[in-house]
Amino acid sequence: LATEPTDVLIVGAGASGGVVARRLAEAGFRVVCLEQGDWHDKAEYRGPELDWELTMRKQWSTSPNVRGLPQDYPIDETDAEISPLMYSAVGGSMLIFAGAWPRMLPSDFRVRSLDGIADDWPLDYQELRPYYERTDREFGVSGMGGDPAYPAGGEDPPLPPLPIGAGGLKVARAHVHLGWHWWPEPNSILSVPYDGRRPCVQRGTCQQGCNEGAKASTDLTHWPKAVAAGARLVTGARVRRLETNKAGLVTGATWLDREGLEHFEPARVVVLAANAIGTPRLLLLSASPAHPDGLANSSGLVGRRLMMHPFANVGGLFDEDLESWQGQFGCSIESFQFYETDERRGFLRGAKWGLAPTFGPINAALPSRAGTQVWGADHHLHVRSHLGRGANWGLFGEDLPDAANQVALSPTLTDSSGIPAPEVHYRVSENSRRLLDFHIEMATQSLKEAGAHTVEVDRLMRYSGWHLLGTARMGDDPKTSVLDRWNRAHDVPNLYVVDGSCFVTSAGVNPTSSIVSLALRAADHLVETRSSQRVPA
Amino acid sequence: VSVQADAVGGLDAGQRATLTAVAAHLIPEAHGMPSAGDIIGDKRLRFVLEARPDLLEPLRAALRAGLPDDPGARLAALERDEPDVQGALLLVIVGAYYTDKVVRERLRYPGQEAKVLQSWKYPVYLEEGLLDSVLAHGAIWRDPSTGRTAVEERSPLATPTERGA
Repeated sequence: LATEPTDVLIVGAGASGGVVARRLAEAGFRVVCLEQGDWHDKAEYRGPELDWELTMRKQWSTSPNVRGLPQDYPIDETDAEISPLMYSAVGGSMLIFAGAWPRMLPSDFRVRSLDGIADDWPLDYQELRPYYERTDREFGVSGMGGDPAYPAGGEDPPLPPLPIGAGGLKVARAHVHLGWHWWPEPNSILSVPYDGRRPCVQRGTCQQGCNEGAKASTDLTHWPKAVAAGARLVTGARVRRLETNKAGLVTGATWLDREGLEHFEPARVVVLAANAIGTPRLLLLSASPAHPDGLANSSGLVGRRLMMHPFANVGGLFDEDLESWQGQFGCSIESFQFYETDERRGFLRGAKWGLAPTFGPINAALPSRAGTQVWGADHHLHVRSHLGRGANWGLFGEDLPDAANQVALSPTLTDSSGIPAPEVHYRVSENSRRLLDFHIEMATQSLKEAGAHTVEVDRLMRYSGWHLLGTARMGDDPKTSVLDRWNRAHDVPNLYVVDGSCFVTSAGVNPTSSIVSLALRAADHLVETRSSQRVPA
Repeated sequence: VSVQADAVGGLDAGQRATLTAVAAHLIPEAHGMPSAGDIIGDKRLRFVLEARPDLLEPLRAALRAGLPDDPGARLAALERDEPDVQGALLLVIVGAYYTDKVVRERLRYPGQEAKVLQSWKYPVYLEEGLLDSVLAHGAIWRDPSTGRTAVEERSPLATPTERGA
């Protein structure tokens, strides 16, 4: 297509790519984005339809391996205890995420200093806080200020909180009785009309696409503005590799269109926003004689330290009809009661809890994630006891970095274009197992205090790799990190990585709020340093 | 997404009878609910397979001759030897049954409804002071500068009058 290099080429039109594209385009940069997926219309989402619970298990699965759509690439997860989840489209995985929008906590940036494990980040909470506040406004976050789990001060969420529902109210009362923390969950889901978008209707199908456009995703919140500011977004564009010159600078990307025709998009700066599986895959695919181990990989850490948040679901069943198939899936309430390290528990770090709705009758009828299935006459009693009568604590345990947990290139598996697929190696650590055991015990106590007659546990869910983090970590030392504190590759001064790959540690919270805030910070830096940015001659 | 018009008819009479028997075995008439064997006719089966055409092949495999005739024994054999095929069979039956209008009415499940949010209403949890109780415990975040739980002054939550409720 282009022969004149664009100012900035972004790979991936998801959460971080959208934020960077809008910021740079509005600052006057010429921006091009290559996205392997396509635009989706809200009318495509199946939430209001009878087949919702059928299609969520295939066409709208969160796993690319289950979907198998042409724009997906397969992932060899044979050696992984958790399956990575994602979606390829304009808006990226935000189309299928829940919308929960907690920030990282101050201690999350200082894990080495505080707990003697993992690493510290090259920035702290206070440095990132202004970006959290800006992205809250850009995406339209609903929530309640004043949460004592976070430092006081700063802006409250711009929109009032979403309802916590009958289940949330029961559990909130229980936590008050226990003397435990709870708070209305912040969600990037509109509680009132905002920025031309309609508010949430509590349909409860957030993870299969929001028909109202109430749940934020960059196809709604950022790309229209970026395109209006001049950004060019190319869909159906699968990037094969990044190219470099003798000076060690990246010169652009070679990519394939839907017909398999190869193109080269030249650029002065390249920004990778392809998630923590896709980004290291692309860096490894970009190996050359000058970079035999992959681009930006002198540290050997590209693809390593993959973190995915080991996840447990603790579900309480109640006698009362809670109509729990309704409500925002991004969580009604949260608890940070056991988030910070207490070494007496036998593990380090902690987990955030988020209380989520349940699904509809098909989910209630099929074998549960905990393995329970009831057939015969009692099947009807089983369904009645589950449908609308549940409240689920989702426990996101902090996942400590381990170099052995990594993304590599498969020697045998390829995508539909013949490009090597990623191969994921991932083991849950002993610390994570002990952490989850403790939190499951506490969450069970929470639900029983709330009146649950039965508590069902899914201890380590396989299809829970929503949070892909850490495979090109930030840091000040090029020997022990891939990116500098501004998300720029130490080895390649005109290459940035702005997705979750940059995470140093995983924290124990849903990461999208932090990913986009870090991306906005990186984009601000690009704008501020544009006159000194090294680019190919 | 569509399947060929004869997809449902692609199952022979024996396979359809087997499907009915397995469905009735799994979900019999009881507790005021109808049997899945009675509910799952052409219309419901076609609906499921149009939504999920990928289920047709494993469904045929699950209903093939050569497996035990007894529904329970057939399901057990599939669970043991072909769990993916058994999973597809369960999903077809459950998907067909619980998308039936009568079944949903008896469950009092109206589907995933769109509701109007009443964000101007003062939440019950504030009326009950449930967040005041949380705030009374003070900050719980760990201050990296000390390594200990933070100590800080906080403003109380706004009253209903201050919030304009």
